[in-house]
Amino acid sequence: MTSHDSTGSSARHAPRKGPNRVLGLIWAGFATAAVVGAFIVPAHILIQGVLGPLGVPSFDRHYDTFARALSNPLVKLYLLVLFACSFYMLAFRVWYVVRELGVPSKVGVGFVSFGLSGAGLIIAGYLLFTGP
Amino acid sequence: MSPMSSRDAGSQARLDGEARATAADGVSARIPTRTVQRRIAYPVKQPFTWWTRRRGYLLYMLRELTAVGIAAWMLLFLVEIARARQGAGGYEPLGGPLFVAISLVCLALALWHSLTFLSLAGLFMRIPLGDRTVPPRLIGRAMFGALGVVTVVIASLLIWGGA
Repeated sequence: MTSHDSTGSSARHAPRKGPNRVLGLIWAGFATAAVVGAFIVPAHILIQGVLGPLGVPSFDRHYDTFARALSNPLVKLYLLVLFACSFYMLAFRVWYVVRELGVPSKVGVGFVSFGLSGAGLIIAGYLLFTGP
Repeated sequence: MSPMSSRDAGSQARLDGEARATAADGVSARIPTRTVQRRIAYPVKQPFTWWTRRRGYLLYMLRELTAVGIAAWMLLFLVEIARARQGAGGYEPLGGPLFVAISLVCLALALWHSLTFLSLAGLFMRIPLGDRTVPPRLIGRAMFGALGVVTVVIASLLIWGGA
């Protein structure tokens, strides 16, 4: 297959027709996850990670309140979104940063980073939907 | 000899393996035959520590690493959820100075992610308002206002759930 470049000459490898839709979807997913994560993650770390251990009431400080919250399907779904956004952000950013640090394999790094992210999400879903 | 068109001349040059002049952009260049027929990748090789050269690069790398801190804290949260499966007798929430210190670092990273990402909203969002668009600075402030409201709502729910 041949194509003409800007100089009018022919080349053996034609450029890909149209936009890269898969990459576009990956970017759209990252934008969504990053915005949602930017809104909801700081509150969880602040309350559960900092203020909760210092004495401020938090739903995860006692088993009764924690189990009651986790038994709510809406809470399960919300927490799954929280984990999904966090792990997706990690996968996407690691995918880019590792290559920017000199690792040449785009597919391999993507497979590992998104694979680990997906595994983390599966574990989170299992723990949430089979727990109390 | 009959006069040749520019494409014929280029083809002749390729056949001869000679240099040719680009016609479309008017830039003369001596391009070897192989570059015309085959794409050649020119990988940019830079040292592993390129991000330490400038402050901007360092902040960029720090922004990218915020995802690591956030995900690490989420893994700790998953540990708590896993502990809750053991029942009331086996459940013990994470705590102690080390956990608080780790959470403080993760909180700083999460806030840095929020600050940098929500600041971008004013750059890529175009909200039409009559003949103009909403100023980017206003969009950015609205996003930070929304961040404050969402944070207060979620924090209230988390505290209310534990009361």
